[in-house]
Amino acid sequence: MASYQLALQQLTDSALPTGAFAHSLGFETYIDRGLVHDEASFGTWLAAFVGQQLTYSDGLGFRFLYEGVSVGELDAHLSAQLLPRQLREASTKMGGRLIEIGTEVFRSAELEAYRTLVTTGRAAGHQPLAFAVVARSLGVPFEEALAGYLFAAVTSLTQNAVRAIPLGQNSGQRLLREAHDDVAAAVEHVRHLGWDDFGAVSPGLEISQMRHEWQRARMFMS
Amino acid sequence: MSTTATAAELSPADGSPPAAPPDLGPCPLRGARHAAAPKSGFAASSSNSPRGELSLRVALRAGRSVAVQQFHQGALRVLRPHYLDGSGQVCYVMVNPGGAYLGADLYVVDVEVEDGASLLLTTQSATKIYRTPESFAEQRMTIRLGEGAELELAPDQLIAYREASYRQNTRITVRPTSSLVMAEVITPGWSPDGASFKYRELRLRNEIQVEGDDGAALLALDNLLIRPPLGDVTGLGFMEGYSHLGSLVVVDPRVDQALADQLHRLTAGYDAYSGLSLSRSIAGTTGLVLRSLSNSTEELNRLLGACTGLLRESWYGRAPLNLRKY
Repeated sequence: MASYQLALQQLTDSALPTGAFAHSLGFETYIDRGLVHDEASFGTWLAAFVGQQLTYSDGLGFRFLYEGVSVGELDAHLSAQLLPRQLREASTKMGGRLIEIGTEVFRSAELEAYRTLVTTGRAAGHQPLAFAVVARSLGVPFEEALAGYLFAAVTSLTQNAVRAIPLGQNSGQRLLREAHDDVAAAVEHVRHLGWDDFGAVSPGLEISQMRHEWQRARMFMS
Repeated sequence: MSTTATAAELSPADGSPPAAPPDLGPCPLRGARHAAAPKSGFAASSSNSPRGELSLRVALRAGRSVAVQQFHQGALRVLRPHYLDGSGQVCYVMVNPGGAYLGADLYVVDVEVEDGASLLLTTQSATKIYRTPESFAEQRMTIRLGEGAELELAPDQLIAYREASYRQNTRITVRPTSSLVMAEVITPGWSPDGASFKYRELRLRNEIQVEGDDGAALLALDNLLIRPPLGDVTGLGFMEGYSHLGSLVVVDPRVDQALADQLHRLTAGYDAYSGLSLSRSIAGTTGLVLRSLSNSTEELNRLLGACTGLLRESWYGRAPLNLRKY
């Protein structure tokens, strides 16, 4: 058994208390418009979200961190490129919790350095970077760490959709199984992107994340 | 070279030294990792000398904004300046006499608006990107705004034809008191069989830095990448069934949530699917980005015009823009 295996399982467990249950990251707007209403339509949104947002922003930031780009530089880029305010706040809320949890149970010099940047106001503390810092310090290889991070995000979002749409538990499990291919494709895609691709947005996903700010009835903070 | 606004139509063949290409800034991935991560597999356009260059510096002189330095070479120039109202804001119209961007064409634009000056920069007609086999057309724009300087950037729409690739890289540096408004419309392109989204790649990247007393910090990175050959870009999660995309970027110390709410209400009156949000704040200034999907250039122009009109009126006391193309 790899030395990091149980640590990675703890980090990617959907019970990890980062507050992911409170965020739809934009799909609640699609529910409100009637465009996401069942298993198939949520699956379409989820595939787009994994292929765009999680690839070009989270995934690419994750890779650059593993390649040695400074966490401060990447943090500033994420704060600048997550233009929908609620999305930016979701990333730093969950990132802040992950930094706290990591400091409790997976302490490392790298995480301490990132935490110091955040507590002194020099960084915002974004979720993918906090996860990547912890995973890297635990010795988790890049692809395994990124696949774990992406699938954990997919799992939280699917659980939220099961509650919000609502869907049956078996629907949720079928969606997760179908997302295996999207996550594998995203990990592969991230390897081939460059610095200019970092933060590339899909207009539709972004507009729905922005419109959520003005949505009247909402279950989620984003 | 230093010319005044009245000499704005000097011939390009005036022997001035070409402006140096703009510094595209530090990239943490320079060198080996760049080579390992090709951007899209095409040959770079930047090995050639620019096909068109334009450099313009506007300053405030006796209550009016005038060009204090101007240089142009190759397939880019500006028409003589005009003043649309009594506010002293100078308006320049950029012209690409060739009418189109082709493969490996590089256009370099460098604009500076000095402290307290005001510039409206637009184009004479749509930017058309034709086929760019094995390469891409590129525009690199560097913009610097001084304290209290204003820039309104309002180009005509971008049209990418079949098999076109285009990259537009705009690097903007503002001071905490600068005011920036930029609007842009992208069409689904055009192909002989009438199908849309037949271009290969559009990449429009705006990077906005705020230069405060403690150095520069990144305020907003607006990075749009549309690659139709990679997958369906028309549906849910991407273009949402719409064909045209409009963007508005505003950076100003007066940008706040009340303005965002006001613009949000304004967008509801148009046949477009729109969203907007505030960026982070740095040194007292904030960005606002509006994105809008629609099925027509005219509707997006009306919507973006209404938004910029609201800003022109409430911030500058100017009438909404009604640009006749000269």
